[in-house]
Amino acid sequence: MHNPSPLTPYPATVTKIVDETGDVKTFTVEFDDPQVMENFGNKPGQVAQLSVFGEGEATISITSAPTRGKFLEFSVRRVGRLTNVLHQFEVGQKIGVRGPYGNWFPYEMMKGKDLFFIGGGIALAPIRSLIDFALSDQYRKDYGKVEILYGARSYNDLCFKHDLFERWPNCPNTKVYTTLDRPEEGWDGHVGFVPNYVEEVNPSPENKVAIICGPPIMIKFTLAVMEKLKFADEQIITTLEMKMKCGIGKCGRCNIGSKYVCVDGPVFNLAQLKQLPPEF
Amino acid sequence: MDVIQQLREQAKKLLEEKKVEMVIGFGEGTELARTTPVFITNPEEVSALTWGPLCANNLVKYLIDYQNLPGNVAVVVKGCDSRSVNRLLTDNQIDREKVVVLGVPCSGQLDWKIVAAAVDPAAKLKGFSDDGESFTVNTDAGDYKFDKKEAMLHKCLVCENPNPVVSDITVGKEQPVKNYEDRFAEVKALEQLGTEEKSAFWDKQFSRCLRCYACRNVCTVCTCRTCVFDQMQPMWVSKRNNLSENTAFHLIRAFHVAGRCVDCGECDRVCPVDIPLRKLNQKILKDLGDLFDAPTPGSEAGLASPLGEFATGDPEEFM
Amino acid sequence: MDSRVVNKGQLPELLDKLARDHTLIAPVREEENVTLFKKVSGASEVQLDYITSDVSPKGCIFPQTEKTISYTYTGDTLEMKEQDEPPKTVLFGVRPCDINSILALDPVFEGKFLDTYYLEKRKNTVIIGLSCSTILSTCFCTAFNSGPCDGKGADLMFTELGDKYYVEVNTEKGSSLVEAYSQYFSKGDTDKLAKAKEEQAKKLEGQFRRKVDLEGVKQVLDENFELPYWDKVFKKCLGCGICTYVCPTCHCFDIFDYVTGEFTGDRFRCWDSCMFPDFTLMAGGHNPRPSRKERVRNRFMHKLKYHLDRYNLDGCVGCGRCISKCPVNIDITQIIKDLKEVGQNA
Repeated sequence: MHNPSPLTPYPATVTKIVDETGDVKTFTVEFDDPQVMENFGNKPGQVAQLSVFGEGEATISITSAPTRGKFLEFSVRRVGRLTNVLHQFEVGQKIGVRGPYGNWFPYEMMKGKDLFFIGGGIALAPIRSLIDFALSDQYRKDYGKVEILYGARSYNDLCFKHDLFERWPNCPNTKVYTTLDRPEEGWDGHVGFVPNYVEEVNPSPENKVAIICGPPIMIKFTLAVMEKLKFADEQIITTLEMKMKCGIGKCGRCNIGSKYVCVDGPVFNLAQLKQLPPEF
Repeated sequence: MDVIQQLREQAKKLLEEKKVEMVIGFGEGTELARTTPVFITNPEEVSALTWGPLCANNLVKYLIDYQNLPGNVAVVVKGCDSRSVNRLLTDNQIDREKVVVLGVPCSGQLDWKIVAAAVDPAAKLKGFSDDGESFTVNTDAGDYKFDKKEAMLHKCLVCENPNPVVSDITVGKEQPVKNYEDRFAEVKALEQLGTEEKSAFWDKQFSRCLRCYACRNVCTVCTCRTCVFDQMQPMWVSKRNNLSENTAFHLIRAFHVAGRCVDCGECDRVCPVDIPLRKLNQKILKDLGDLFDAPTPGSEAGLASPLGEFATGDPEEFM
Repeated sequence: MDSRVVNKGQLPELLDKLARDHTLIAPVREEENVTLFKKVSGASEVQLDYITSDVSPKGCIFPQTEKTISYTYTGDTLEMKEQDEPPKTVLFGVRPCDINSILALDPVFEGKFLDTYYLEKRKNTVIIGLSCSTILSTCFCTAFNSGPCDGKGADLMFTELGDKYYVEVNTEKGSSLVEAYSQYFSKGDTDKLAKAKEEQAKKLEGQFRRKVDLEGVKQVLDENFELPYWDKVFKKCLGCGICTYVCPTCHCFDIFDYVTGEFTGDRFRCWDSCMFPDFTLMAGGHNPRPSRKERVRNRFMHKLKYHLDRYNLDGCVGCGRCISKCPVNIDITQIIKDLKEVGQNA
């Protein structure tokens, strides 16, 4: 189905809400017209514009893989006006969705390789779509070992606990490393910051792609570790966040140099990032 | 020695003696009829400073931007601009110790567009002379005479303070006060209109507002860290450009500067679609004068806002 | 290319007819010193002798405020209504620089995601250009492959020559309009007028004061993102939106909802300015262009590099509005000159 106006969202319904942390909720959204989902064609790493009527729109990454089912999941941190209202949503409430926008993780290029995911805080959300894609029955055979290294400030700040502790560790040839910034009562897992943990785990760059997403400070220190571990710039992939309004490369605000994050991104490898001016 | 030469020497001295870190003044613009703000930090570069009847900008605005420099800042001001210095001091927006006021008595500022329209665009400026009732612009393509009454900015026709009311170093000779018309003539004419006519007048003006916020950004008394018009939570005035939102914007703006507006006329000058914003401010100034006997804000040091203090003798007509 | 002649005396009647059959948008003298493009009901409202409009006519195709949808939303029900099709419009009296700007805007709104709001208005609008007869000191359209009589992009291009308008018929749309109002468009001595137009164009081109040479400027910007020069330029910028709002090629917009009732509201898009701090400010508080320095740089980079990178078209058309309107005399032609110098000294 072709939508005549690119800025008009499709009506959808919130069908499930999961409290991830104190300020992050994951919303499962289903289109009111099932045909829309058939043609939506979202790929891992893409984003969508969520409409909260009366408040406007926000760009949110699609955290579910297309392989998961006929729904979309969005993990949203409560940071501003719109997300505040969204956090008060109840199951059954209507929402608008348009998209998918942006490029996607180069999953074709990653075929036959090991995947090493590194995430911090809420930023597991954008890469979760690729984790689930690679771990799906349909595509699992295309990829080698899947490792996920994820950290947050505290146990309560860990998103997707069900995935981290139950679903992913039970997938074949998959390993999950979880760390908390500080020791905590009842936590017997790893303690320390993500970059240090990466160095400890010491992944070999051999036939491997690293997918990194997290707060800027985590990315900065992790990149230094990756360099030490001899990962080439092309082996390191991340996704960027900029303020967006249209999502379709017209409204002009998400540019980094000549590139619009909404159409040329949000996924960039480190070699591409180094070509961009440092304005993000 | 002419004013420009004196200004440059004073600026050079201030910079050389490290009394200031920066001198903000007027420099040659990219068109003969224009000047542009210059920010001089090197004593060798004071030749960039100029002065004349095409220096309309109120440079005091930049004191807010550059107040956090480690050193002091000198700023070139005209009489009208100097009221802004007083006003910013009263509002505790700038530190008197960190500012050196380079006052220049002023005999009027020309509307640059009138000059630009008359002068050969290829001509090079040689200088100006003030002939009392007119300015002559001397260029290599000849001299152009501009009648003050015709070519000056309106605020200059009713100037109260040709000489800076606050100044550390005054350059140039004192100028007499000369009014070409009743200061509030335009406002009084508007007051004569009926409610519907007034409303029609302002509707027409506000409907073409672009909401570029130049009037706010240029205003020396607009010093809020987060302006109400930029605030998102709650959004008092939306970005929709229509008469209702535009009117809300202009009325809030005018009332927010009421009692503090120093009548420098910058909002009026910068408006890209010629909305006569100064008329709004002047109406309030006139009322403040009528009701509270309030002088123009900033015209004396330490002058409190008539709307910011209570006196038992104040009329309370609304009660 | 076909051409026609319109007698000056008959233009008012033609405009009246156009206004009767279409939405006619033309330059109007709003105040003594303000000319704006507005909807008119007839020739008497049109200001034929205007030089340049204070705000570009881009708003006729890309309005400053535009409703995209109306919605009724109760929580568990949602209905949306889209915009109606725009009316058949004639945009009369557009100067070559402003026509050129529409050509620069087209690829922004075309592409993979077709911006129907813009494109439908564009499709429904016949652009009638009007050659310049006065060159302002701020004009520099000749730097961008245009000129005071250049009809490129216009459906019909009118040039005033004595008591006649020489009319170039450049497109199908223009041709159908000529056919529909054929009584006003005579065949006449178009060869002679074509020659006269050429001479007039040449004469006017000699009157440009600003000689703007873009050679090498993009290369300087390609090679340098950080330049000490930007530390100098931004100092005087007041951070207002004049340059972006009067600019005929600026296309940035914002989208937001406006609540009209308990369950109803409208979604709007409206011009936004890269000069405003909240343009790039994210909900979490991070701002990738936190100061005027980054914002000023971004604006000029957009005009002189980014637009070229994306669309292979200049992001400036030399209309001179930002120069004459900037309260502090930030002048793009000076910046071009300075950047060239920076390149030569590098």
